[in-house]
Amino acid sequence: MSSGQKKRNFQIEAFKHKVVVDPKYAEKTWKVLEHAIHEIYNHNASGLSFEELYRNAYNMVLHKYGEKLYSGLVSTMTFHLQTMSKSIEAAHGGSFLEELNSKWSDHNKALQMIRDILMYMDRTFIPSTRKTPVHELGLNLWRDNVVHSDKIQTRLLNTILELILRERTGEVINRGLMRNIIKMLMDLGASVYQEDFEKPFLDVSADFYRVESQEFIECSDCGDYLKKAERRLNEEIERVSHYLDVKSEAKITNVVEKEMIANHMLGLVHMENSGLVKMLLDDKFEDLGRMYNLFRRVPNGLSTIRDVMTSHIRDTGKQLVTDPEKSKNPVEFVECLLEKRDKYDKIISLAFGNDKTFQNALNSSFEYFINLNPRSPEYISLFVDDKLRKGLKGVKEEDIELILDKVMMLFRYLQEKDVFEKYYKQHLAKRLLSGKTVSDDAERSLIVKLKTECGYQFTSKLEGMFTDMKTSQDTMQGFYATYGAELANGPTLVVQVLTTGSWPTQSSVTCNLPSEMLALCEKFRSYYLGTHTGRRLSWQTNMGTADLRATFGNGQKYELNVSTYQMCVLMLFNGADSLSYREIEQATEIPSSDLKRCLQSLACVKGKNVLRKEPMSKDIVEDDGFSVNDKFTSKLRKVKIGTVVAQKESEPEKQETRQRVEEDRKPQIEAAIVRIMKSRRVLDHNNIIAEVTKQLQSRFLANPGEIKKRIESLIERDFLERDNADRRLYRYLA
Amino acid sequence: MNKLGRGQRDKVQQFMSITGASEKVAVQALKASDWQFEGAFDIFYSHSHVKSAADTRHLEELYNRYKDPYADMILVDGITLLCNDLQVDPQDIVMLVVSWHMKAATMCEFSKQEFITGLQSLGIDSMDKLKERIPFMRSELKDEQKFREIYNYAFGWAKEKGQKSLALDTAIGMWQLLFAEKQWPLVDHWCQFLQARHNKAISRDTWSQLLEFARIVDPALSNYDPEGAWPYLIDEFVDYLTEHGIIQKGKLSDWSYKL
Repeated sequence: MSSGQKKRNFQIEAFKHKVVVDPKYAEKTWKVLEHAIHEIYNHNASGLSFEELYRNAYNMVLHKYGEKLYSGLVSTMTFHLQTMSKSIEAAHGGSFLEELNSKWSDHNKALQMIRDILMYMDRTFIPSTRKTPVHELGLNLWRDNVVHSDKIQTRLLNTILELILRERTGEVINRGLMRNIIKMLMDLGASVYQEDFEKPFLDVSADFYRVESQEFIECSDCGDYLKKAERRLNEEIERVSHYLDVKSEAKITNVVEKEMIANHMLGLVHMENSGLVKMLLDDKFEDLGRMYNLFRRVPNGLSTIRDVMTSHIRDTGKQLVTDPEKSKNPVEFVECLLEKRDKYDKIISLAFGNDKTFQNALNSSFEYFINLNPRSPEYISLFVDDKLRKGLKGVKEEDIELILDKVMMLFRYLQEKDVFEKYYKQHLAKRLLSGKTVSDDAERSLIVKLKTECGYQFTSKLEGMFTDMKTSQDTMQGFYATYGAELANGPTLVVQVLTTGSWPTQSSVTCNLPSEMLALCEKFRSYYLGTHTGRRLSWQTNMGTADLRATFGNGQKYELNVSTYQMCVLMLFNGADSLSYREIEQATEIPSSDLKRCLQSLACVKGKNVLRKEPMSKDIVEDDGFSVNDKFTSKLRKVKIGTVVAQKESEPEKQETRQRVEEDRKPQIEAAIVRIMKSRRVLDHNNIIAEVTKQLQSRFLANPGEIKKRIESLIERDFLERDNADRRLYRYLA
Repeated sequence: MNKLGRGQRDKVQQFMSITGASEKVAVQALKASDWQFEGAFDIFYSHSHVKSAADTRHLEELYNRYKDPYADMILVDGITLLCNDLQVDPQDIVMLVVSWHMKAATMCEFSKQEFITGLQSLGIDSMDKLKERIPFMRSELKDEQKFREIYNYAFGWAKEKGQKSLALDTAIGMWQLLFAEKQWPLVDHWCQFLQARHNKAISRDTWSQLLEFARIVDPALSNYDPEGAWPYLIDEFVDYLTEHGIIQKGKLSDWSYKL
């Protein structure tokens, strides 16, 4: 090249001569491929050259004969599939599925090879012409020519369903084969699987279980039925895992749940002698657990169980609290309640998985029936009294806490907590004054629990009682420190000074103390008032106790623990051999009903009859005569005759307490009304009632009629007024 | 008068007989109030020679005629005399209306202030004028609003001085008087109920609410609402009626009131 010439880019020029493609060439090439396909389907593929076939296919596509190739493929494959189809149709009975499976397997292998050979067409011609790719084409052709062929489609479905039915009735079937067949349907596409198998499967299953459940229900009891249902459910789940599409699991389990459980729910629950109620009564934890697990799968299943359980608890609870037999013994009454609660706690935890909604149902049921008996608050207090007096003797601290917690749980159910408070105070007072409490710690622990539950107000007075006891101890120490020497030879006095507001109100009663005590008591009074000016003391003779050393005519000596009243009576006999009731009454001035009870306990109780009564009857009349029983004996040196134990109240006492409670409620209601009106200023009638009731809920259930009366009283006293325009509206008057 | 229709002429006659006004004044007042009596009365009395016609000296003389010899007020005897002069029974309910106009604090007595100021505000300075006004006062009881005011006023007027509540006997007497005007069928049952079950004094609230009850709730109790914020005593009354079968299923079975 000379330097003067133009520069030229280096070029490669295209091949100059064209390759002329002979149409006959295309036909020839196709024939090669067609032959190969035949050989493949005839299991003769080993003699073929992959490389050559691939090249042929490549060339056809390259020279724009893709269409011919494709349509040739379709017709050749179709031809073979139709042959296969006939062979499958001809199969007898059991070998039908096997033949189908085997041909399917063959087709898949063939398809694989064909796809590899035709890969170039798959990647170029097919996408550009938007035709179905080879593999998918192969599946579609299979579907159309084999699975959906007239003679095969129905027979296939029926065969599968027949096998499943046989398996359900206990036979063993070829699961591997089933898996392959089902997988074939899945491979053919979701709609094939669903239309050709799943939908009919679900329908047939529904029919099957409908019939079976009907049979079972008629001949099994509830527990057995549930076992069977559970078994069937598990079977179906297992079946799916072995040879069905995993997506079918939810659908088939729905069918079983609906047919076996949902449709028979009420029948099962209410089944005579074996239904839910019987299971609850007999603590059949396993059966109940099974029922819970099965029913929770169906809509309203759990709520059905819950409702039946609730009404059962309410009914049995109502029976329990209104049973007059049970009401005779308060401690037993409460123990039955606790037992019941424990029983259902156990059921809920073992069988119902601690389901919160069931817990709530239990709580609301208890709340309902406990309050049906207006004496429940009193009885619960008596139960506590019994436990704190002797029931908890020797019990470990953790166990004490457990019992107290259980008591608190019952307490929470009470609507009339203020009634409980009244009784608790009374009983506590008796325990403290007689020194009969088993554990001071237990007492205080319960007070703390009550305080946590109800607030400071509830327990402040109770705590005051404890303080008084402590203070009195200190006072006594001071008293004896001052006068100890003087009083060494006389009777020993122990005084508890009770602050009026904290202790249950008692009316003061008359009682003449024996002279030996009178002087001593007066000495104490002046000592106390000396250090506490401005206070007033009054002796509560109906609450005290005394220890007397008695020597009887037969020479026996005993130490008698008696009430103050009893002491006054007995001391009279130091000065007289026999006395009439009238004389005793005059001398002691004890009120007659108390005096009669006192004399009865001294003269009419076996083993404690330190006095003799003439005549020997149980009733006390004016002219009865009393004298010391010189023949009195007892196994114990110390004889307890006092009557200060807390008891179930008599009818008139109960009325009185109830009245006092009602009286106490009035100012509480008024305070609530004033509080609410002060902040709201103007409020209508219904809303006031609602708000007041809500505010007082934690103490008691306020009666709307009573609230109304209080409102009127407040109107009278110019705290409130009615609105001029709307007579239902109340206005706060500042 | 010739230009008026028959109905209008009747109204004019009525107006004149009640107020003692002249025909001309009557027609004027009625025309101005569109031929409604109430409006016409208001116009008449507010325009009437209120302050000027009332001569204080006349009033003093009048007061002295009725005043008690030992106290500077009109007491029972004076009132009896007053009623005689008016030709009205002392038990007549119109005396309550008179007291109301005078804003008298307690029944059976008028203080000097109450008597003189009260008559002045009515524009009256002689017994004749007062006598003329009596029919009008009677008509005031028919007005619902005024009746309520008079009724509520009656509580304070009838009760003892210094007491908060009204004694039961007095209350019953007042009710019978008042409801004779207003026509409440249950008034007798109410009084019987109180005597049988309540036997205590009546509070102001109960008093005023009873009128509302009589107004709002029909005698067969068909529209009685137990949540209607009625005083407790009225709720008890309803219970009493149902218990005694007087009201059954919203029907009043005791028709004695009609007699």
